[in-house]
Amino acid sequence: MTKVVIDPITRIEGHLRITCVVENGKVTDAWNTATLFRGFEIFMKNRDPKGIWQFAQRICGVCPTPHAFNSLKAVETALGVDKVPDSARLVRNMMEACQLGYDHILWFYQLNGFDYVNVPDALNAKAATPSLQAVQDQVKAVVESGQLGPFANMYWDHPGYKLTPELNLEVTAHYLQALGVQQLANDAATMLGGRYPMIHNYVPGGVTQMPSIETIEFYKSNMAQVKDFIDTVMVPDLLAVAPFYLDLATFGQGVGNFLTWGVLDEKSQDPYDRLFPRGGIFDGKLELQKVDPNQTRHFTKTSYYGDDVGAGKHPLDVGQEPIQFTQLPPIDGEQIPSGKYDWTQATRYGDQNRPMEVGPLAQMLVAYLSGRPEAKTLVDSTLAAVGHAGDPAVLVSNLGRLAARVLKAKINADNALRWADDLLANIGGGDTTVYNELDYSKEGTGMGGWDAPRGALCHYTRIKGGKIDTYAAVPPSNWNLSPRDDSGKRGPVEQALVGTPVEDPTKPLEILRTVHTFDP
Amino acid sequence: MEHEEMSLFPGLSRRDFLKTCGALAGLIGLSGPMAVPRVAEALEQLAKRPAVVWSLFQECLGCSVNLLQARKPAPANLILQQISLNYHEAVMAAAGDQAEKSFRDTVDSGQPFYYIVEGAIATTPKEAITIHGKTAADIVTDTYNKAKASGGATVCIGSCASYGNIQAAAPNPTGAKGVGDYLRQDAGIPDAVVINSPRCPGNADDTVAILLYVLVNKKVPELDSVGRPKFLFGETVHDNCERRGHFDNGEFVQVFGDEGSDKEWCLYKVGCKGPVTYAPCPKTRWNGQHGWPVTSGGPCIGCAEPDFWDKLTPFYDKAPGFHVPGDITPTQIGVGLGALTAVGIGAHFIGQAATGRLFKGGPVEGKEEEEGPKEGGK
Repeated sequence: MTKVVIDPITRIEGHLRITCVVENGKVTDAWNTATLFRGFEIFMKNRDPKGIWQFAQRICGVCPTPHAFNSLKAVETALGVDKVPDSARLVRNMMEACQLGYDHILWFYQLNGFDYVNVPDALNAKAATPSLQAVQDQVKAVVESGQLGPFANMYWDHPGYKLTPELNLEVTAHYLQALGVQQLANDAATMLGGRYPMIHNYVPGGVTQMPSIETIEFYKSNMAQVKDFIDTVMVPDLLAVAPFYLDLATFGQGVGNFLTWGVLDEKSQDPYDRLFPRGGIFDGKLELQKVDPNQTRHFTKTSYYGDDVGAGKHPLDVGQEPIQFTQLPPIDGEQIPSGKYDWTQATRYGDQNRPMEVGPLAQMLVAYLSGRPEAKTLVDSTLAAVGHAGDPAVLVSNLGRLAARVLKAKINADNALRWADDLLANIGGGDTTVYNELDYSKEGTGMGGWDAPRGALCHYTRIKGGKIDTYAAVPPSNWNLSPRDDSGKRGPVEQALVGTPVEDPTKPLEILRTVHTFDP
Repeated sequence: MEHEEMSLFPGLSRRDFLKTCGALAGLIGLSGPMAVPRVAEALEQLAKRPAVVWSLFQECLGCSVNLLQARKPAPANLILQQISLNYHEAVMAAAGDQAEKSFRDTVDSGQPFYYIVEGAIATTPKEAITIHGKTAADIVTDTYNKAKASGGATVCIGSCASYGNIQAAAPNPTGAKGVGDYLRQDAGIPDAVVINSPRCPGNADDTVAILLYVLVNKKVPELDSVGRPKFLFGETVHDNCERRGHFDNGEFVQVFGDEGSDKEWCLYKVGCKGPVTYAPCPKTRWNGQHGWPVTSGGPCIGCAEPDFWDKLTPFYDKAPGFHVPGDITPTQIGVGLGALTAVGIGAHFIGQAATGRLFKGGPVEGKEEEEGPKEGGK
């Protein structure tokens, strides 16, 4: 038996250690440990409900917009308001489209790319165009300077890198191009929201102002360019790279349970009627299930909180105290994690305490099973292209997770202009209300339920006496990076790691790949 | 094709390059005939790609995400051509032991490097943030000392590294602190000097401007009472706000989405903290200058100020300690401005009422000797 510890897992948002046991060239057991704790649910208590979303969006600087939305929705529903003015819905959708537009591009190239693209090998390519030549020259200058910077010390000699030098060069060029394209989406978010990340145009009850026509046109122009990049560069890159890594379809299946609260409201503002609708899949059976955020529960026997803090309770009844921290085993040596090993609670769904995978794969499968035409057409054509027509189950793997994120990026970009055109139509028709003041003297319990790019996200709150009495955020990492629950069942990433082949335990590239497919 | 000589700003003509140098000189407060040549020379040094180590501690990655929004230079050029980003967990290819090797290869080399910190330092327990089995507290102490010994500066990007920020909001469950406070109060380095570049998120242009300042001037810029470079944080948001005229005319947004919102009137009455916040937002704007918080119709929340989560909240209530003539809301002078209180905010607000301008903070004690004489320090 060999113990493999990767700490830090890089190219993620957050702080993560992965511990694996490798036997006979395969992972046989795995533990994920979040190595950061901030205590949001503790310091969000007793605050002003109107401004609590400004706290909430700081949970994640990569995806502040869905955190902000969830917080608004939790406060609004707690105060008895289920819908915002239609124009406010559209502005919020436009903000979310920018968020998704940049985020999935960043994940595909900047965070995930180095697992498959061998940058130094790009120097061996025959550059086909002057612009590829220029990129090759840039990489060459970095390599020859002896200062490899972010490319240093990677497992570049690992036999798991399969692309041709030409493809390595081309995707490296797209890595650099993508850095500019993500700015287009964030510039649009800035025109609407004042800056990115950490936006300013949201407020419970709607948004702060109707965007100017100039702003709406700017958004349309930029998001059209983002769509063009996804259609002409990112989707073709997926299709060019995937055939070299078909082995990725054979592992990383995970727990077989999928969950999404949905994202991007249609006019009804009904979570089951979203562009990516709410829904679940249980026990590997590709049948659509209705799901309820109030069926979320936490366990803390393996987390750095008292055992009774979780015990299967609803997030609003859990909190993050008392802290009960214990040291992790040293990186070296044989000792593996036992007892408490994670700042993340073990989050489970429903009476059967199912660990749930969340993220674009869940979102695409649920959208497909819900019969959303955008998802149905795209998934069917992709399955046919890879010789698996009518068999979406083939998506349940590392390769499926990669593909789902790219397809979801495309559906988001394909619909991004629709929100803006609908807003222009509202303005033309005189429907310019964007805000209704809420009655903060009311009391109640509310929740969000609106996915972040990396998966299901729900905020819950109880408002009493004009203050936040209790606040709970259950981000996608609570689901995907759950540790073992009180019954010893592994979390989704832990389970997906089991069975991952490891060619050389001193260069655990394959472990990085499985972890990164979850966009942890 | 012959490969072009590496240029700092590919695609820029010589004329545009010098124009950029002029703009950057203005940004860091240089003037006179030598300003542009000095900036150009510093940019040439940048072409040698100084080593940068970037730590992520108690953070949300927002500062790094904003760094990706930089324009001059664009991030691809920054990473490939201007700096050697030897360690940044969200950018680097290597992970685990190999990432740690990249860190050690630079920090232990004895060669000069710049240390950038994004994120706060946890103290209770210190293990609320660990990387490669070590606490942020231990990493930052060792790396600060080695950066200083190498001749490099330590720069705190964003309000977390500067002041602890959101995780330090009451009751501060993890005892989170800014890097400077941690080093001076807990790590036994009472004379530690770091450059704070607060705001939440940290701003990409600040980062570039501060690195440039240090390279051009070979010293830490003049800092205010809470460690911010005066050349960036010397004036309030209110001082430079494009809606200032509406404030002076008494034209206010009363409720979001009203007629005043459409006419882009002043946001003071819906909570804007611009009058008590020292930051260059209205001047330098954000994300390629496409906006800044007030352009969205949302109020400034004071994110460049220490402890703004506790001292400048509720966010949609009027700014504490700031009085508008004819506004009958009782105000309590000085409430909400912890660090500035220490340097005489009471007197300041009396003056401010007459002039409409806020006090500019003095330097932290003990920094004068190290930095040499400064103009205008108190």
